[in-house]
Amino acid sequence: MTNEQQNDTRIWHGELTTRSALRRRGLLQVSPGLFWILIFLTVPALALIALSFATRGGYGEIEWVFTLENFSRLAGYGMFGWSPDYLIILARSLWVAFVTTTICTALAFPLAFYIARKPKTTRYVWLTMVIIPFWTNLVIRTYAWQLVLSPDLPIAKFAAVLGLIPAGSPLYPSEFAVYLGMISAFLPFVVLPLYSSVEKLDWSLVEAAFDLYSNRRRVFMQAILPQTLPGLSVGAILTFVPAMGMFLIPDFLGGAKYMLVGNLIQQQFGKSRDWPFGAAVSLALMVLTLIGLFVFRRKGEKMEVI
Amino acid sequence: MRKLLLAIMMVLLMVPSAFAAKEMRLLIWSEYMPEDFLTDFQKDTGIKVRVEYYESMEEMVAKLQAGGKNQYDVVVPSDYIIPAMIKLNLLKELDHSKLPNLKNLEATFINPAWDDGNKYTIAYQWGTLGMMYRKDKLKDFDGSWSVMFDPAKRQGAFIFVDSIREMLGCAQCAMGMDVNTTQKTELKKLLDTMLEAKRSKYFAGFDVGTGGRSKVVAGTAVAAIVYNGDALRAVADNPDTCAFVNPKEGTIGWVDNMSIPIGAPNPDMAYTFINWVLEPKVGAKLSNWTQYATPNEAAYPYITPEDFKNPAIYPEKAYMSKIQFIQDLGKENKMYDQIWTMVKTR
Amino acid sequence: MRSQRKPLLVPAMALGTLAFLYIPLMAVASFSVNDSRFGLTWQGFTWKWYLELFRNEQVLEAVGNTLFLGLVSTVIATVVGTALALGLNRFPWSRKTSAFFEFNLYMPVITPEIVFAGALVIAFASLRYFSSAFEPGMLNMIIGHVTFQVAFVALVVRSRLAAFNNEIEEASHDLYASSWYTLRKVILPMLTPGIVSGAMLAFTLSLDDFIISFFTAGPTSVTLPLYIYAEVHRGITPKIHALSTVGLLVTIVLVIASQKISNSFNEKERDDA
Repeated sequence: MTNEQQNDTRIWHGELTTRSALRRRGLLQVSPGLFWILIFLTVPALALIALSFATRGGYGEIEWVFTLENFSRLAGYGMFGWSPDYLIILARSLWVAFVTTTICTALAFPLAFYIARKPKTTRYVWLTMVIIPFWTNLVIRTYAWQLVLSPDLPIAKFAAVLGLIPAGSPLYPSEFAVYLGMISAFLPFVVLPLYSSVEKLDWSLVEAAFDLYSNRRRVFMQAILPQTLPGLSVGAILTFVPAMGMFLIPDFLGGAKYMLVGNLIQQQFGKSRDWPFGAAVSLALMVLTLIGLFVFRRKGEKMEVI
Repeated sequence: MRKLLLAIMMVLLMVPSAFAAKEMRLLIWSEYMPEDFLTDFQKDTGIKVRVEYYESMEEMVAKLQAGGKNQYDVVVPSDYIIPAMIKLNLLKELDHSKLPNLKNLEATFINPAWDDGNKYTIAYQWGTLGMMYRKDKLKDFDGSWSVMFDPAKRQGAFIFVDSIREMLGCAQCAMGMDVNTTQKTELKKLLDTMLEAKRSKYFAGFDVGTGGRSKVVAGTAVAAIVYNGDALRAVADNPDTCAFVNPKEGTIGWVDNMSIPIGAPNPDMAYTFINWVLEPKVGAKLSNWTQYATPNEAAYPYITPEDFKNPAIYPEKAYMSKIQFIQDLGKENKMYDQIWTMVKTR
Repeated sequence: MRSQRKPLLVPAMALGTLAFLYIPLMAVASFSVNDSRFGLTWQGFTWKWYLELFRNEQVLEAVGNTLFLGLVSTVIATVVGTALALGLNRFPWSRKTSAFFEFNLYMPVITPEIVFAGALVIAFASLRYFSSAFEPGMLNMIIGHVTFQVAFVALVVRSRLAAFNNEIEEASHDLYASSWYTLRKVILPMLTPGIVSGAMLAFTLSLDDFIISFFTAGPTSVTLPLYIYAEVHRGITPKIHALSTVGLLVTIVLVIASQKISNSFNEKERDDA
């Protein structure tokens, strides 16, 4: 386009206007939101990167002295030689997020199908039942598990009988409790998007697949899964990303026995007053999250090709 | 619909403004005052107090560093953290002319080691950390740390206190180590001991003092590390099941102090409060309720006589030498911070 | 057909999953009326924990703060987010500008909340050099909440815009309506269902938020989740069960109300079409 043509008046969505007038209006509309996110998230996140190279003073202040100590500590080179504690936490968080997402997906399918097959009038009742825990505050839902796993209630008593825990102990803090909390927290995040895909499912394709394949699994993979992929991938991302950085659930249900990276970061910005180290760990978490997201998208794309 | 929203907003806009009235802001340990302490203060001086709680020193300092130093009028830090707070410019220098009751303090607490000349702090209460336990569930309990730290002697679920120096210090007392050591070999032993305890199937988590106490009372744990006063109050409510002891190998002692953050919005109210707490009858009422030892000599005549004879509150002379006080270690503080992170993450 | 193949497995798993979701909440509700301070043996029915709540100043203040924060942040985020969506969609930005916008738009969504909170802590620590208004407190909380709400509102409204019917808009311009008039009377009304769901989503996110509030709250701006968190750490009491059950009931009311609202929108749409 030549310069003269660029600012011609033109018809845009039925409106007679110029490109520069449009741009002015566009910028006006976009700026508040854009600057808000820039100032309070994007720029500080970049500052996090800088902060991860700073030193922590003797009393918890930040000293802007360049150091790689935070990263070497993260890689395991601490006071007493090499020990991969933090790497273990990062790996553990990745694993927990992955397992949580998988189990939630597996449980979400039956539930989504069940609701989708209900008559239209009762469907929204079932959906409401899924939405209610979804909208209930996470703090409430999580500490409620402390109640359910306490020594006086059947579940913990059963575990004690089996000898898994000392008699009279609660079933938390423990890895099991953390998984319970995570799965129950994220289930609605997968069920709801998945349901919106399942609702729009073209059952004729599924019936055709039943005619073609004798193996139920193949029917699922070829006819059902590809159609539900959009909802499924939204649900998986909405679960995986928060699960990676989750802090409340390991705090309430894991205690110090099962620490995840969210707790580690919270500790550094809180009691340990080691912001530079917290920034370094945050960076590692961001990188891992992005890698995880990338893997999910790749797998999603591959499956669509099938 | 829009009008309704507007109306709701108007109503809710009034909510925060209702709290803009002048009041003194107190940041203090939870359960550190009798229930009507602040209403008494209001009756005597007319000043309303808004109180907020913390459960550990590190939490309190982190709060002040993140902007709290301009938001609170009185804060109650423990001895060992005060040099750090002074260096970090978090505290205001005290004007002694506004504190006539300062003379009521017992001699030990005037010019203490952590604050020469009481420039920034005035003693509030002092006490120890010890073990609260279920006497109906522990067999042959000898009042030793071993029920937590010795694999052979553990009998049931136990809880550690969630405070960096204090918890590590308890472990060090159990091992007969100097709680202020900076020797790497010693610290490695400390780390190993803590990790061994944490990995035991009897370990039931880190909790603030009052949290651990609640668990012992409820029976979900048989032993927990709790501040002596908190524990004694619970023992008084549950005399048949619970008991408290300062372990025989020695334990951590602490002195809590009142101080004024450097940017306090209402410093005059703060001085009034501190001076009021130093009144003899007020000091006695405080200690009689909290079950901690008072630093206020003028209050002695009003203290419950049994408390003076209770070694859990006022330890015997022979035991005093076994009580260790945590000190600020300057640059070496981060060694303990790092050990703590290692303990919590491994 | 298919129902013959897996008669019981799917419903069984579905109902089991649903039960799993509700076990903790039911437990809390049952114990909120249990007349026992410690321990969990049933000792009789009582309302006293609920009565204690209404007398508790801190609880009432926390509730007020939570609602205030939710409403104010939702209003701001809805306005700003809708404008953002409109601006993004309605102008042919160049590829690079568009990528820049998209990156920022997705930042709040892909950033783990704890990192988000850390970034906010840094942002406010820096801003405190310029003004003491950025002490931890309600202002910081509102700002923090709006930051993530804006992205979600914009995404919801934008997906609605994409499915837009351009003809009515073009008709409006053909009839000599100014762009501002068109915006007010044509675009926004048609966009309303999307704006409303964006707003509802924003409101829920704010009510539900814990970690961002945790890092930005000040002495007078404790919200309900923060209050419960502190109390749980100090020792669980039936008072918390009562408070949580109230929270659950409020949630149920909100969910049902929002379902009614979206149902009425869907009906309106069907009528209009």
